[in-house]
Amino acid sequence: MEKISVKNLKKNFGDLEVLKSISLDVHEGEVICIIGPSGSGKSTFLRCLNLLEEVTDGEVIIHGVNLTDKNIDINKVRENIGMVFQHFNLFPHLTILENITLAPVELKKATKEQAKEAALKLLERVGLKDKAGVKPDQLSGGQKQRVAIARALAMKPDIMLFDEPTSALDPEMVGEVLAVMKQLAEEGMTMVIVTHEMGFAREVADRVIFMDGGYIVEQGTPEEIFGNPQNERTKDFLNKVL
Amino acid sequence: MNKRKIVSKLFLSIFTLFTIISLVLPFSNAKAEEKTYIIATDVTFAPFEFQDENGDFVGIDMDLLKAIAEDQGFKYQVRPLGFNAAVQALEAKQVDAVIAGMSITDERKLKFDFSDPYFDSGVIMAVDEDNNKVSSYEDLKGERVAVKTGTEGAAFAQSIQDKYGFKVVTFDDSANMYEDVKTGNSIACFDDYPVLAYGVKQGNGLKIVTDKESGSSYGFAVAKGENAELLQMFNDGLSNLKASGEYQKILDKYLETGDEEADSGFFGLLKESFPSLMSGLKMTIILTVVSLVAATILGVIFGLFQVSNKKLLRAIATIYVDIFRGTPLLVQAFFIYFGIPAALDIRITAVVAGIITLSLNAGAYIAEIVRGGIQSVDKGQMEASRSLGLPYRKAMSKVVLPQAIRIMIPSFINQFVITLKDTSILSIIGINELTQSGKIIIARNLESFQMWLIVGIIYFIIIMILTKVSNHLERRIKHGEN
Repeated sequence: MEKISVKNLKKNFGDLEVLKSISLDVHEGEVICIIGPSGSGKSTFLRCLNLLEEVTDGEVIIHGVNLTDKNIDINKVRENIGMVFQHFNLFPHLTILENITLAPVELKKATKEQAKEAALKLLERVGLKDKAGVKPDQLSGGQKQRVAIARALAMKPDIMLFDEPTSALDPEMVGEVLAVMKQLAEEGMTMVIVTHEMGFAREVADRVIFMDGGYIVEQGTPEEIFGNPQNERTKDFLNKVL
Repeated sequence: MNKRKIVSKLFLSIFTLFTIISLVLPFSNAKAEEKTYIIATDVTFAPFEFQDENGDFVGIDMDLLKAIAEDQGFKYQVRPLGFNAAVQALEAKQVDAVIAGMSITDERKLKFDFSDPYFDSGVIMAVDEDNNKVSSYEDLKGERVAVKTGTEGAAFAQSIQDKYGFKVVTFDDSANMYEDVKTGNSIACFDDYPVLAYGVKQGNGLKIVTDKESGSSYGFAVAKGENAELLQMFNDGLSNLKASGEYQKILDKYLETGDEEADSGFFGLLKESFPSLMSGLKMTIILTVVSLVAATILGVIFGLFQVSNKKLLRAIATIYVDIFRGTPLLVQAFFIYFGIPAALDIRITAVVAGIITLSLNAGAYIAEIVRGGIQSVDKGQMEASRSLGLPYRKAMSKVVLPQAIRIMIPSFINQFVITLKDTSILSIIGINELTQSGKIIIARNLESFQMWLIVGIIYFIIIMILTKVSNHLERRIKHGEN
């Protein structure tokens, strides 16, 4: 069974058609990088995968569960899909530790003690164990994003979505976040990443998807897309960004 | 002493005994449990009803009622609501009767049943004691003349205003009316003779310049067709008191005796009025605290409705907020205290009505504060929470609201202060809070300027304390964030 299966997905904002017809299958453990010009619908597509955006038409099937079915418990589905946002969206009123333990404790996935232990392990993994007791506003952007990844991982998801995770970072902090993501990819996590980091996509992605105007224009291995793009629009885009 | 007095006393005792036997016996047979009548009165209508230095209600009406109740053996409880509120309360059957120096008029007879007249009043005109220019109605041409709403004086002034070419301005109580003349806003005032005479004696700074226009008489009123037995007891008691001479004694006590000199210096007044004002302040604080607790609950519920994605909930909240922000608090208080009980035939006390009014009113504003607070929290917070699998409610209560509350605190403090001040409006339905306490004291001593100064200072001090405490709390919460 495919981990993610999207069929003829359409999304409108009022009269504006943002996603025109998207179909995509993602296998378990696959790392997908979505690239494309701004306004091409990349982020909207990603947000449809955990229903942060309502789907106008088509199907999104996660691990066999059709999200467009009104009777499913979307909260249960989301527990297994971690998401990392461009602007981190850490909870400013909670400490780093509390940011990570909130969801597992509230959703009865773990006791407070278990959650704390797991959170400290995750923080160690992203290199921020010493920051457990501080509030988010004392962290740098790169540190915040690493905490956000740890927070998503605390729910033990089997899919991770990244929405331009490094776009809001100062250049010197991009590396530390990408390193954590790369480690995650190597451990076999199924990942869908919207990114502008072409170097990272080339190095880590199993498949690169080029989106433009609400369509998937071209997809392939990093070698195919970056080395030998077929579509004119892909060529044009890559010429501009590389 | 003389034989005639002894004989008349004997005769009266027998008469009274007969009356009691003939009235009370069948009555007590008919009604096993004893009823306590709720009788509404004015608060600022000396010498008929006013509070003495000890905070007890005294005056001709009060003393007469007490004597008649003793004579007839019925229980009652006085509700000093203010004249207009008392009349409306009787119409709404919130009270059993009204005794408030009320003139018996044909118009009122349509709605109320009146007792035999217990006092013959009349209208006189007064001007500032230093004013030597105005001595007759002719001198009023082109001037403003003050009257008290619903009084005979007002009716008389209105009946002659075209003839003499003056303009009538109305006030809700005598003290304000006198003050308007003293400050020169109005050239003269018309009021019921006993009231104005009492005021002049108390040193209200006015003098009487016309002879008494004979007017109608005062009566004790019950709602039409209701409480007939109470009316009968009043009439019987009144005639007993007249026969015994007790009636004249009561009148003389207020209209003939000289006045003892009160200490009218600022601190003398403060000392004298302090206990009444403190009990008023206590009521103000109770009203504020209870209403704010209820308003906060309402506000949070309706505020959450407003940000809900369910259309119906949003619509309900919007209607609620629009209604209570779109109408004056005063109108809401009248509607809830007089309108709803009259329509549904239930009774609610003024304090309960006041708390309901303030809670609903402040709740609407707090709902807006809550909505604004929630909407000012970055949308990403809700999205991040939901992406972790947290249901909407948990995301709201654990992530969005804690942040929203920090944003709301200054607006909350502002609303607390507004609600505390708004309690003063409830004096209009007769709740004895701080402003009403002030009004009552002024009705007795007519020291408007100094008393309102004292009342204002008390409000100011309380609000300053509240503000300082709130600011301290706000700093602590903000500090705790970092």
